[in-house]
Amino acid sequence: MSTATDPLAEMLQSAAAMQESGRAVLRTMLGMGDVEVGTSAKQCVLSDDKIRLFRYSALARSANLKPVLICYAMVNRPYLLDLQPDRSFIRELLLSGLDVYLLDWGYPDGADRFLGLDAYIDGYLRRCVEFVLKEHAIDSLTLLGVCQGGTMSLCYAALYPTQIAQLITMVTPVDFKTPENLLSKWAQHIDVELLTRSGNVSGDFLNLVYLSLMPFRLTQQKYVNLLQLQGDRVQLENFMRMEKWIFDSPDQPATAFREFIQWFFKENRLIRGELTLAGRPVRLKNLAAPVLNIFASKDHLVPPSASIPLGAHIGAQDYQSMEVDAGHIGLYVGGKTRKSVPAAVTSWLQARCKS
Amino acid sequence: MSAPDPFSSANPFSAGFLKAWVDQAGALQDMFARFADQSAAAMPPSMPPPLLAPWKDFVDRMGMGGFDPAQFLPGAPALGLTREYQETAARLLELSKQFQQRYAEFAQQNAAIMQDAFQLMKKRLDAAPPAAKSPAELYDAWIDCAEGVYYQAAHSDAFARLLAELCNISSAFKVERGKLSEQIARHLDLPSRGEVDSLHRQVRALKDSMRAAAAASARSPSPTGSAGSTKPGRPTRPAKPAKASKPSRKPRKRGKK
Repeated sequence: MSTATDPLAEMLQSAAAMQESGRAVLRTMLGMGDVEVGTSAKQCVLSDDKIRLFRYSALARSANLKPVLICYAMVNRPYLLDLQPDRSFIRELLLSGLDVYLLDWGYPDGADRFLGLDAYIDGYLRRCVEFVLKEHAIDSLTLLGVCQGGTMSLCYAALYPTQIAQLITMVTPVDFKTPENLLSKWAQHIDVELLTRSGNVSGDFLNLVYLSLMPFRLTQQKYVNLLQLQGDRVQLENFMRMEKWIFDSPDQPATAFREFIQWFFKENRLIRGELTLAGRPVRLKNLAAPVLNIFASKDHLVPPSASIPLGAHIGAQDYQSMEVDAGHIGLYVGGKTRKSVPAAVTSWLQARCKS
Repeated sequence: MSAPDPFSSANPFSAGFLKAWVDQAGALQDMFARFADQSAAAMPPSMPPPLLAPWKDFVDRMGMGGFDPAQFLPGAPALGLTREYQETAARLLELSKQFQQRYAEFAQQNAAIMQDAFQLMKKRLDAAPPAAKSPAELYDAWIDCAEGVYYQAAHSDAFARLLAELCNISSAFKVERGKLSEQIARHLDLPSRGEVDSLHRQVRALKDSMRAAAAASARSPSPTGSAGSTKPGRPTRPAKPAKASKPSRKPRKRGKK
């Protein structure tokens, strides 16, 4: 017969408690309804096909710095940066007096399948940059690129260096072929031309790949841990916001996706100096503006080794890298980093960017 | 009248939700019981590796599970009026079979990962008595072991190649399935994917030329001394700014959520 200290008996007790906790979680979730995300006030100031450029309403007295244009990745939705009022990278920037714009790539569909990276970087991104410059009657702005959006921002800054006063890259892959990069290892044998021949790449497929990076944690542990919340409504809402974001993955336009995988993941053209966009070579050495490169030490999607090499490939004299003790997502929503990272960004800008 | 019981079996959401947890808890109990078994032959429980089900689900939704090999005669030549359909169907069947073979290898590979993770966990438990750990700690230790073993395997070339083959076969299947849809659309006088693609290209070419024309006209001074007032193809400001808190609408709902 089991005793109180028998681990198996404990396990059984724990299973019973788990079921009870499961009921509490479920009861709370059923009464929750849909969760709100991206709640900071903003206005759409430019609409270009499916692309939207948003300008956020000021929350503090202007810091008199150059406007910041955020270029997010195409593979996920940008509201991660403004997930909820107390976990909002963008809100923190606004509270520091920055003027923040956000480029939202939208949800590409079949009509966008033939759009290549040219169209996205030298088309949509360029028009957004030009809009902001014109709006503020300035020659250059601060470009802040996140993840894949960081890579796109690097390309843009290399093509149009005079328009960029400062460049901030966050968890941005630069060297796509480092040993720790699991996504890159998997991509090498995938026939990406065949993958995209029948159209856009579904967001479901991308999610499947992301889940496959850490399947035990991402498909099991996080749901088991949910039981520990014991029906805490606030915590469950936080969980549901993140869950909503994780699986809200737009389909990827076939041509741009193919080019990104082939040129960056397979051929590593960016750091080899072999990338051409819109008929022009993309030379990272052209990038002379100050650069802040932020990477996360526990990033399983973009390992630090993929981001760190940036400093060696750009022409900028003023280069600073910043390692944050967080994961790819925790960087924006983690307990400590959600305030410390935007504060570091603002300080770095204040030191350089009086307009 | 009393409110409906959210935990009733008539509520498919809560029933499935609770069942998933109970199943998970049961599988874990089984696994931890096996950890207590000192027999060297103790095998991991029949808990499926977490990677398999989503892949299977994904390709099933593509229709790869819908082909019954018994309906086709392997190697039979395509004959007669419907020979094009027969050829496409034969290719779909062949790809389906290839996928099943690779998927079996993938399942085997994942089972080996589970086995290695199980052995690693057992080794760790032998080194540190389980009595010193709470069930939650044991569970977290199991996840650490499983992820650690998985990480090593997932970085291997063999794993990457197998995963890529699964992906490449399903891509080829999708291409062949598209050809079939194209044929059916033509027969029904519906716009085919090829026709729609052609229109998209034409619209894109038109937009590009309009943008180029607008840019050229903006560069050259107009006879009246001011830049042209109409700029076709330029990005437009929306008449009314979008409401701040409402994100742009998704074009379609995903079934999996």
